[in-house]
Amino acid sequence: MGVTCVSQVPVAEGKSVQQTVEMLNRKLEQLGAVKQGNFCVDCETYHAGAIGNPGQPPKFLYVMHNSEAPLSCFALFENGPCLVADPNFDVLMIKLKSYFQNAKSNKVESRGARYQYCDFLVKVGTATMASSARGITVEVEYCPCVTANDCWNLLMEFMQSFLPSHVPGVPSVFGVKTDGVYSPSDTMAQYLELFSKLRKQQAATGSGMR
Amino acid sequence: MEAPPVTAMPVTGGSIHMMEYLLQGSVLDQALESLLHRLRGLCDNMEPESFVDHEMVFLLKGQQGSPFILRARHSLDRPAVPWHLRYLGQPEVGDKSRHALVRNCVDVSASHSLHDFLLEMGFRMDHEFVAKGHIFRKGALKVVVFKLFRILLPGNTENTEPLSLSYLVELSVLAPAGQDTVSDDMRNFAEQLKPLVHLDKIDPKRLM
Repeated sequence: MGVTCVSQVPVAEGKSVQQTVEMLNRKLEQLGAVKQGNFCVDCETYHAGAIGNPGQPPKFLYVMHNSEAPLSCFALFENGPCLVADPNFDVLMIKLKSYFQNAKSNKVESRGARYQYCDFLVKVGTATMASSARGITVEVEYCPCVTANDCWNLLMEFMQSFLPSHVPGVPSVFGVKTDGVYSPSDTMAQYLELFSKLRKQQAATGSGMR
Repeated sequence: MEAPPVTAMPVTGGSIHMMEYLLQGSVLDQALESLLHRLRGLCDNMEPESFVDHEMVFLLKGQQGSPFILRARHSLDRPAVPWHLRYLGQPEVGDKSRHALVRNCVDVSASHSLHDFLLEMGFRMDHEFVAKGHIFRKGALKVVVFKLFRILLPGNTENTEPLSLSYLVELSVLAPAGQDTVSDDMRNFAEQLKPLVHLDKIDPKRLM
């Protein structure tokens, strides 16, 4: 997987989530991007309830899936280690259900179209939680490069061409990389950060209008 | 670049009900070569693989009585290969005439951050060991002949000493639940290894 930037795009003034997503998709098509199927990134929350550590705050374990890596399962702790495993990890979480409870109502997923533009992959998704749209996610990947700091400027320039006013800053994961090589778990960490923000927000509104 | 298929990945019956069928035995060091020779003849025609693995057994203590056990294993001679996480359930108490030990088994391949991740989840390492040996296959049957080594200093896999003067032999098959013909095939194979090694169903509870 190439260096990827995941960011949230605010809903356009006076428009709904769906309309804003359609606007972005049209802009990408005008640029010359070609739609290639759909994508889905989801995140489930597990609550470490019955672990005998009374002094500590409860831990949340996030189990995520990315359609771009269909045979993988990602498990993360916020600001903690990330595990990349095969889909049987979901089966293991079922076995662990008396230690880690699945907070089903906290499941967030982002679905949308997947566009390819030369060496870039752009995915514009609607993030939903409990079937209500909470926001818009945009994932931009520059496939040929795996060194985060080498292509940030190029990524930013490309994002400016279709997200003129909402170009995000450097993702925090770029800063903590010891060897500078980008990996799919960094993308999942970015999605987790975004989903956590969305969970805390109220349902998505564009200046008060649904 | 074709998009990978977007499917909801429901956890269906298949992988949650995989069972491990197991027979175990042992041979003294002196008898190893003849056993390997016999296995080379009986098993699939491929170069028998040797391995050096480091296994750590982790426990998660909850409010229930018995802790949850997970086994994390990684290769010491092929460091780039993913780690292997294994959950083994309680042996099925069923048909006494069934020839092998049967227990639920969940196998997960994982990245190299597994050790730190398990600690973050709340698991604590109970014990660890190094296993060195050979692996053979015959169709779905897997035969592993290995020696266990005790690790003298925690975390130091260079400094080990053998646990015994023998090799452990394990014959196992991973199959979906309900396939009882598997244990018959295993028994037939085990017969061919007699008298070099006697493979039996060993009840782990009897050893506690």
